[in-house]
Amino acid sequence: MTKHVVMPLAVAVLLAAAAGCTKQPLDNLSANDTKVYITNRDSTANFSSFKTFSITDSVAVIRNNQLNVKTITPTDSTFIAAVSAQMQQRGYTLVQKGQSPDLGVSLNRIYSSSTTVVDYGNYWGDYYWDSYYWGYPGYPYYSDYVGVYQVTDAAVAVDLVDLKDAAASHKIKSVWSGLIRGADVINQSSASADVQALFAQSPYLKTN
Amino acid sequence: MKKIQLAIYALVACLAVNHVQAQNGVLKLRLDYAPAMPMGSFKTDITNQAAWRSYTGDLMYYINDRWAVGASSGFQDFYRQYPRQVYKGSDGSDISAVMTYSIQTVPILAKGEFSLIPGTHTVKPYVAVGVGGNLVTYRQFIGEYDNDKSKFGFAAAPEAGVNIAFGPWASSASLNIGAAYNYMPFNYAGINNLDNLAVKAGINIPIR
Repeated sequence: MTKHVVMPLAVAVLLAAAAGCTKQPLDNLSANDTKVYITNRDSTANFSSFKTFSITDSVAVIRNNQLNVKTITPTDSTFIAAVSAQMQQRGYTLVQKGQSPDLGVSLNRIYSSSTTVVDYGNYWGDYYWDSYYWGYPGYPYYSDYVGVYQVTDAAVAVDLVDLKDAAASHKIKSVWSGLIRGADVINQSSASADVQALFAQSPYLKTN
Repeated sequence: MKKIQLAIYALVACLAVNHVQAQNGVLKLRLDYAPAMPMGSFKTDITNQAAWRSYTGDLMYYINDRWAVGASSGFQDFYRQYPRQVYKGSDGSDISAVMTYSIQTVPILAKGEFSLIPGTHTVKPYVAVGVGGNLVTYRQFIGEYDNDKSKFGFAAAPEAGVNIAFGPWASSASLNIGAAYNYMPFNYAGINNLDNLAVKAGINIPIR
């Protein structure tokens, strides 16, 4: 009788042990492999029609869909400089925001302490850079290509908005967005490489 | 030359000897190591790498010298990691990531087995078929972000192999060698099935 109980039990134990031998994907990922670079664009935008850009002088910190603060840490400065360098490498000229730039470039750090969804529809609806910042007070922001991403940790978002056509359309339209996610993305030492990777997958983003 | 032929005949006779012991009503436990190679669209769309962490366990009741019925279960661990590349998101976005698939299956099957040679020969080829369900744990990792899905679906497994007894058939353990085609429909995220071909090697242990 004992034999009849022991043998099936042994099978169950063996199968459970086998299940415990599952290869764990996260154990085989380097810190760099954890990173995900997401970019999207307004498919109607003609990126060669833009010649100049201005970039924010600080980074908006968003926690659980709420603007926490606008700040400028050494890491933020590195991200801003890296984005500015990428734009200039693609032929865009950096100008002051008072010099009527064609594109406005903003950076945001997004944190979520719980499993929440960052809905980019709301993200643009409650955009964290007042249109006054770009010299178009009261103009609403909007985007035609927003997506929904689940964010459970930190992310860095870079947004390009069309200032050249804002006066005519009375709107500030998003034309490109990039998101960097993964382990330890808010990191000064990897900031430039991450920004370079983000722009590398958008070859259309250039003046000619 | 004649002596060699006689020796071969004697060996074959030994292997094929009919044991006087009856085998009716014998309960046997079969444990197999069963590495599995993905087949069809599972191979082309998800992974072409064999699941080396794969095992099966059968509990079979031999009704007579030809027929056995019982239950079969097992475990398969499929894994594939693709180096970083850019994927097109459903919202039109470009997503650069390391993509990893981790898929485990636990089939639970009712099984019937038919011995191709009647009697209690030492070497007994067989054909079998198992029909039942399959618990699938599917995980797709985009970087470190996973997309999980667990499903219980249909499964069937035609099988062929041979049992080689170490002694009197009914009372002795035997070596088992075979192959099974695991038919496992799985409709999710563009995947149609998790079909695979398992090569099995293990032991049969009489437990009653």
